[in-house]
Amino acid sequence: MLVASATTLPLLLAASGCRSSDAFDGPDPLTGRPSPGHDVVVLQAAISAEEALISLYVTATATASAGSVSAGGPALFESLLAQHGQHLARLRAALVLPPGTATASPGAATASPGVTASPGVTASPGAAASPGVTASAGAEGGTGGRGAGHGVLARLRAAERASAAAGLRRLATVDPALAQLFASIAACDATHVAALAALASPP
Amino acid sequence: MTAVSALQAALAAENAAIYGYGVAGAYLAGSRQAAAIQDWTDHSEARDTLSAMITRLGATPVAAAAFYALPFAVHDSRTARALAAYLEDGVTRAYLGVVAVDDQRLRTFGALAMQAPARRAAYWRGSTQAFPGLTSSDR
Repeated sequence: MLVASATTLPLLLAASGCRSSDAFDGPDPLTGRPSPGHDVVVLQAAISAEEALISLYVTATATASAGSVSAGGPALFESLLAQHGQHLARLRAALVLPPGTATASPGAATASPGVTASPGVTASPGAAASPGVTASAGAEGGTGGRGAGHGVLARLRAAERASAAAGLRRLATVDPALAQLFASIAACDATHVAALAALASPP
Repeated sequence: MTAVSALQAALAAENAAIYGYGVAGAYLAGSRQAAAIQDWTDHSEARDTLSAMITRLGATPVAAAAFYALPFAVHDSRTARALAAYLEDGVTRAYLGVVAVDDQRLRTFGALAMQAPARRAAYWRGSTQAFPGLTSSDR
């Protein structure tokens, strides 16, 4: 009886003049795990970008609580943050990875529907997959003045705008259902831009 | 869904919105009425854009109906704003259908086109939604 392990099989196949791909149908089991599909790669990037955006809002919410933005700021930030939490949950639910595969961003901040502000949470390394999205909304927050508040609003608006644009780029080449999810999230981001603009310039 | 049928559905939603704003606008005043007039104009322009696209694809654009049944009675400013939000939700949903077609340019067109009605819906509703255009069964 011949027992071939993953180590010995290539030697046996080589001795018989065969490659492992001659012996099996489908992906060569000896060349390692197949690379993730296009939709998975795109989805992982979207998840990382959403995580970075959430981190930005968490920081902004902490800044807003310190009184550096107008009265409606904290409530609006928390509302928009909760919706980004919903986006993240939906994106993660769409990501189906084979068992044993590493997750998209192991160090990422967690967020789920109903996410609340947690000032201590920071952006995960490498999570800034969307241009303009960085966890620095509170960088000017130390002064607690109106200028700092406007800086936070401007950063959030820029990040939302960048996120919407990234969503549009992603949807062109993926499965239709995933494209619709990206389009819906991008549209939500666009409404956030308008809501933040209204906060910056009340009627 | 084919490209033509998706565009026709968006056109039908735009036609319904144009009709509906005619009703809602009568119960609004001041800045809200001005917003409704602007939205009516935007929907009319979108209707023309969609009609031209459908014609270029060799199909005949669907005609507007003479009358549309309203989803609820409109009799004051509150219900007029609710109708406007309802109409914008319908247009947003229709453009999301365009995003599902194979043609990449049309997908991007649909995704961009749905942002304006999503913004308008948020304005009339007074709050944003996490997933504009997606129905609860899609989520």
